[in-house]
Amino acid sequence: MEQRAFLERAIEQHGKATYNFAYRLTHNEADASDLTQEAFIRVFKAWESFKPGTSFRSWIYRIVTNLHRDELRRRKTRYQEEAPPPVQPIEELIDSYLSEPVSHALAKLTPEQRQIVLLADVDECSYQEIGRIVGCSVGTVRSRLHRAREQLRKLVNRYMKSPS
Amino acid sequence: MNETHPSIEQIVEYLHRELSVSEDAAVHAHLATCPQCERRRDEELALTQALRAHVRAQERELPQGVTAGIRHAVQRPTSFAETFLRGLSRPVVAIPAVAAVAAVVYFGGSAWYAASAPTPIEASFYVDNHAAAAATTPLSDDQPIPAALTANDEAR
Repeated sequence: MEQRAFLERAIEQHGKATYNFAYRLTHNEADASDLTQEAFIRVFKAWESFKPGTSFRSWIYRIVTNLHRDELRRRKTRYQEEAPPPVQPIEELIDSYLSEPVSHALAKLTPEQRQIVLLADVDECSYQEIGRIVGCSVGTVRSRLHRAREQLRKLVNRYMKSPS
Repeated sequence: MNETHPSIEQIVEYLHRELSVSEDAAVHAHLATCPQCERRRDEELALTQALRAHVRAQERELPQGVTAGIRHAVQRPTSFAETFLRGLSRPVVAIPAVAAVAAVVYFGGSAWYAASAPTPIEASFYVDNHAAAAATTPLSDDQPIPAALTANDEAR
């Protein structure tokens, strides 16, 4: 397949999912857009290294994860602290009220736990695929996932009993 | 799995289709007969569905600007350095290039060595001097004057 056609097909099939994945990592549109754009440019440049029959989604999610880590590291060295959390847009706030207990519980997880839970339950990735994306073993995926779900269960139940 | 009920981890992995075939079959059979475990399975399923619904409700469309940005970036003419380096990475170009560099280094090095080597000394210099050194009376009229001495005289 030609390089440009490969890119167009990748954007068509995985563009939205990749952007949403990037958005869940960054929590803001500008950074999610930059990450998605850079990830697809890398895919274009390295298209020959993609092995047919392997998961394209794992590949591009891995690229996004690595770019995000590099960016956080760069910002940390520049400012010596994490960037302040962006202001939540009003639509997002309304959405979050619809599923407040889940939103509240997810926010309490560590970024690594949240990423693994969402990859397993929302993107429906296999544990092996998650291991490749996050850069850890299947055993680590299992233990982090179970710990995260246990915490989620407790938080959701607690929040349902006393929302304040 | 313990003998009576599967663990919560096994139920989660059953839902994620991560158990081995035999374990999966065992959990499946157990759930069909155990209301208590079935309820735990439903709770886990509800948590998964709540997560999915929450995240999917917030799903966004890929902004058109992103797609346009990608297309613009990949349409940019590549710089000369980029094209040159990419060309070098191809074996068809890389092998002759390496051979050419090796040849230049080898022959160029030899030529440089030859050019920078000290001026050769004629053999007669050593013969004359040896003759002078070997003579019992080096400064007698019969003996040749050492070349080194005559050379100095000429220089002066």
